[in-house]
Amino acid sequence: MPRAPSPTPAELAVLDPDGGFRQRLSDNLDAITRLQAAGDLEAIRVVIHQLAGAAGTFGFTEIGDIALQIDALDDLSQRPTDLARLVAALHRAIAKKSA
Amino acid sequence: MILDLSDTRASAERKGRGLATASQARILIVEDDADIAALLGRELRGLGHTVDSVRLAEDALLAARGTDYALMIVDLGLPDIDGLDLVREMRRRSVEAPILMLTARHKVEDRVIGLSSGADDYLSKPFAVPEMRARVTALLRRPVRMRGPRLAVANLSVDSDALEAVVDGVGLSLARKQFQLLELLVRRKNHMTPKRMIEEALYGFDDQVSANSIEAQVSKLRRVLRNAGAAVTIETRRGIGYRLAVLDTASN
Repeated sequence: MPRAPSPTPAELAVLDPDGGFRQRLSDNLDAITRLQAAGDLEAIRVVIHQLAGAAGTFGFTEIGDIALQIDALDDLSQRPTDLARLVAALHRAIAKKSA
Repeated sequence: MILDLSDTRASAERKGRGLATASQARILIVEDDADIAALLGRELRGLGHTVDSVRLAEDALLAARGTDYALMIVDLGLPDIDGLDLVREMRRRSVEAPILMLTARHKVEDRVIGLSSGADDYLSKPFAVPEMRARVTALLRRPVRMRGPRLAVANLSVDSDALEAVVDGVGLSLARKQFQLLELLVRRKNHMTPKRMIEEALYGFDDQVSANSIEAQVSKLRRVLRNAGAAVTIETRRGIGYRLAVLDTASN
């Protein structure tokens, strides 16, 4: 899978000048948690797919990599353990960036 | 999401021209991810370009109807229709602007389908901004005449350099004269092409041309297009000539 090179701190400031994308990460995580509880796997896939495309572009490579792994799962309903493990990893990665 | 749809609609009505110079071009972004769209807009405006941004394919078609964009950046995963269908529809409508396809789909076949649908280049998400800038600059650097060898009408494209005609990504088996005839009709897609012009294009001064040779070539070509599922056909106007026409079934 492609991986954009990590931007420098100066580039990061230009990529997300108002911190909007950083805020979106926690919003996305809240949405995924809510959708997981509701069992809405299709909606989770939509959020994850966008996150997979955007996170790496904005320099959040670890978060992007995890989202890409979830996005690559063929059938989320058949992979509940993998989904739970990767979403937990996503929680940790986003919490690390938010700290 | 805050996107400048109203500005795009207004600009569509202004019938603006997209290409001033490669360093000051008008670019359309079709992307439903507001953060990515905003990033692209910032970067491209920073390069001196004028940028319109929409999140729906429907709005992109409206914008392209009124403005001659120098470049379009199209995301594949749009909320209303698939980005591939949007690119095909743009080409069906003879929108010739180069298209940079943007997607989080990573399979090789996705890229192949994207390019054969009419896109000129492909950038996978996540992308590095310097690479995006370089690809945009490279596409804008192409003079219009360099984009000429490949012509497209509906689901048919003709590459005069590769001597290849393709319908929905599948190559047509054409004799040389049939290819020349098709290329001529595609180049003159909005005009009647007189029989004499076709004779001059297909045959040399010393060639023996029978009375019905053009009709025979047209008939064969029409059959090839029909069998391939082309969304175009060749209309005949008795005593005037021929014209390539898009079939009604291809429209939305």
